[in-house]
Order: sequence, then structure tokens, then C-alpha cells
Amino acid sequence: MARLTLERVSFWYPAMGRPALRDVSLAAAPGEVIALVGNVGAGASTLLLVAADLAPRVVGGRLEGRVKGEGGRGIVLPTPWTQLSGMAFTVWDEVAFGPANLGWPRERIAGAVDRSLAALDIGALAARDPATLSGGELQRVVIAGIVAMEPALLLLDEPTAELDPEATRLVWRLVRALAGDGCSVVVATSDLDALPELADRIVWMEDGAVRRIGAPALLAEQSLWEAGLATTVADVWRTARLGAPYPLTVAQAERRWRQ
Amino acid sequence: MTGGRLHPFTLLAIAGTLPALAWILPAPAGGAVTTAVALVLTLTPGASPGLTGSGSSPGWRPGLVVLRTAVLTAAPFWLFLLLLHDVPSTIAIGLRLTTMIASVVWVGALLPPGRLVEAMVAAGWGVTAAYLFAAALSAVPLLKARAQRIVDAQRCRGLSPRGGVGRRLRALRALALPLVLSVLHEVDERALALETRGFVPGARRTPLAPPRDATAERAGRWLLLVGCAAALAWRLAWRG
Repeated sequence: MARLTLERVSFWYPAMGRPALRDVSLAAAPGEVIALVGNVGAGASTLLLVAADLAPRVVGGRLEGRVKGEGGRGIVLPTPWTQLSGMAFTVWDEVAFGPANLGWPRERIAGAVDRSLAALDIGALAARDPATLSGGELQRVVIAGIVAMEPALLLLDEPTAELDPEATRLVWRLVRALAGDGCSVVVATSDLDALPELADRIVWMEDGAVRRIGAPALLAEQSLWEAGLATTVADVWRTARLGAPYPLTVAQAERRWRQ
Repeated sequence: MTGGRLHPFTLLAIAGTLPALAWILPAPAGGAVTTAVALVLTLTPGASPGLTGSGSSPGWRPGLVVLRTAVLTAAPFWLFLLLLHDVPSTIAIGLRLTTMIASVVWVGALLPPGRLVEAMVAAGWGVTAAYLFAAALSAVPLLKARAQRIVDAQRCRGLSPRGGVGRRLRALRALALPLVLSVLHEVDERALALETRGFVPGARRTPLAPPRDATAERAGRWLLLVGCAAALAWRLAWRG
């Protein structure tokens, strides 16, 4: 059974005549990683808000179609500094904020928080005041706070925007590990180069609608390349007129080159 | 026992009792006593550690800084009172206002909002009611930090907050608008973030480290309440 099902969903923000989402249908299976790609205004962030049951319930607006979710849902929004609880004076307490709100026993909360801190490699920050963290540290704390809630469906909106390359790789490895444990992940990201090894499916969004859904090989196709949504390697390969099929990663390019 | 180790409700009870007594007891002696007590309280060393008791004390502020904050906040009120009233009235009202200000500054410096929320949740309050208190207490440092970031950004664009009165007023205007707008904008995003982290009305939040509420402290709080009531009764009878 799918963790998330959107059936012909359209969504209008309050006082907007034009829909931010148009007739979107999508299903996320347990353990699947779906990547939403598209240019600014494509509707990926709105889709995540709808999937998180925040739109229209919290943000207002109007929704048509059907949204169905199974299990707990957690969303990481793109601005970490607005996602702090404002009620925690240490990173440990900040990460524990969500699990505590779920009413879990203290032992379970402690275990989930410690695992999350370790998974995001921020155990050393546990006693720090969240207000003193850098943007990258804060981003990892926010992700840890959601992961600690053990959601069945994890929604990530540009989760690596504040991170350095090493932390970015750490987060993507964590996403794959969570998917391996059965968590469904839907991620909106502009880190296209990571997607071939991260995502099971790519959803190309344009102007609020789903334009194409397919395997990561989609990121080498002509139409996405023209939209500026190809991986760097595929882009270079095309620009060099090296011919199809286009590799997506350095490893694939190396294999192709040796053939 | 330092003030930071007291139960949050006890701290609030003390901070509420002092201003109440300042207004109930006859001026200027009553106000002088409560002001003296409130100012001495601002010298209470340190605030409590984080909820986990991890050893760090992020909210710790040296007592003299808290005292200075209280005095500097109260000073303009004395000036305005002196402009509006005669000296005896200025002293009477000024002492009462100073008691209020010093009490609020003291409890604000000493009581981490998270600890208050823990106490309220443990006492059976709803999480949203608890958050209202916590958000109000934690707003000041967050706004200060944000204002500093805006000032820094505007300095980079050539706006100087230093110089004459006119220049400072222009800088203040350039600070106030983005500060207010950014706070309003942040409210929406923070609401989304809290919602997704299970902070919803009716949630049964687990207190992570509920502060210990000793019997003596509970009795002390009742004593403060009874003391206020007795002082009020005495004052009414005395005036009559």
C-alpha cells in the first residue's frame, strides 16, 4: 500500500486565481525515494506542503482532488532558522521537541534523539544552544528533529541548501538508509547530480503540473536538458557531442568512455 | 538554593508578588522595600541549565548585567515621571514601576522558557497555552539577534546607525520596517514547522525533564498569595 497517494490534485493559495498545483497524480511506495525536479515556481514546494497535510489545512487555500497518507509524515522546510521550536535551549532538547509532542515515553525519545544526532553526525552539538549554530549545523539539527519522529513519509524541501558537500553526502546517505528501513521519501532538490544514486523515480514538474515521471535516466533526456535539469555529467557529455545514451554520473561516464 | 533551581511557578509567583505588594503597601516605604528586594534578586547568580541538565548554562547571565538591564530599563520612566509629577509622586510611582521592571527582568533572565513549558505541561496545562508564555519570554533575545543581523546587512549597504539624532532616527526607521515584516513573515513558517513537529492543540506532550516541585515550594507559593491578600485587606482596613 502506498504511503502517499495524490489523485488529480489541484491547489490554489488564498486569493490566487491561478493554481499552484494542477491535476497532480503521484504515489509513493514504502521504501521509495522520489525526487521532484523543476525550475523555480514549478510547484514542488507546494506539492510537499499538500503531501504533508499542511496545505490547505494550515496555509489556507483550496484543494481539489484526493490526498491520502498512511502513517506519520514529517516535512523539512527550506529555511532552517524558522523551524526551531523556540522552546529548547540545547540541540538535544530541540531534536527531542517533536518526539515529546508525540507523547512517547522518555526512554523512546532519548533513543530516537541519540540515533538522529548520530545519523546527522551532530552528536558533538548536543549541548549547544540552537541559536548559536551556523546555517549548516542548524539545517542538520532541523533534519534530525524530523528524523527523530520516525515518520513513515519523509518530505524534504531543499534539505541540503545550507550544507557543505560532505554534509550533503551525509544527508543523501541517510535518505537512502531511511528508505532501506521502509520510509518513503519525497525530496525537492536542485542537487541534480545526487539524484542518479539517490532517487528511485524522478518527477519533473513545470508550472504546477507533473510533466514527466520516470527513472533517473530521465535526467539525461533532451527535454530536461533543454529545461536546464540535466546532471552536470550529462550536460557536459551532450555539449561535447559525445552521443547518446548520455551518462548521468562520473562513474557512468568513465565506463562509457572506456567502452 | 539559587533562584535558577526554584520551580518555574515559584519564580513567577515571586515575580508577581513583588509588584503586587509594591502597589498594595503604602508609598514610599512599601515601594522602597519591594524595589530593594527586586534589585537584590537581579543579583541572583545564574540561570538554570538546559532541560537535559547537560551541564551547559546557555541562559546564564552574570547578576550585574541583569541588575544593569533593570536599572537602565527603569531609568527613562523616572525621567518621564519627574516631568509629569511632583517629587513625592515620582518617588512613589517610580519605585512601584522599578519593582515591576526589576521583577520581570529578573524572571526573564532566570527562567528558560523551555523549563516553564516543562513545568506547565507537567502540571497538566495544554501545550499551546504553555507556548504562549514561552514564546513571549523567548521573543526578546530572538528579536535582538534578528535586529543585529538587519543592522549588519544595512551597514554593508552603507547605512550607518551612528552619528547625530537625525541619522540615528533614519537608521531606526530602516531597522524597524524589515524587523516587523520579517517577524510577520516568520510567523507563517514557524506555524508550519510547529505543526509538522506535532505541536498541535490537544497534543499530549511528554515532559522531558519536569522540574521538581517540592512541597515546601508549593506551600511557599500559597504563602505568597495569602500574604498579598492579607496585605490588601490590611491596606483597605488601614485606609478605611
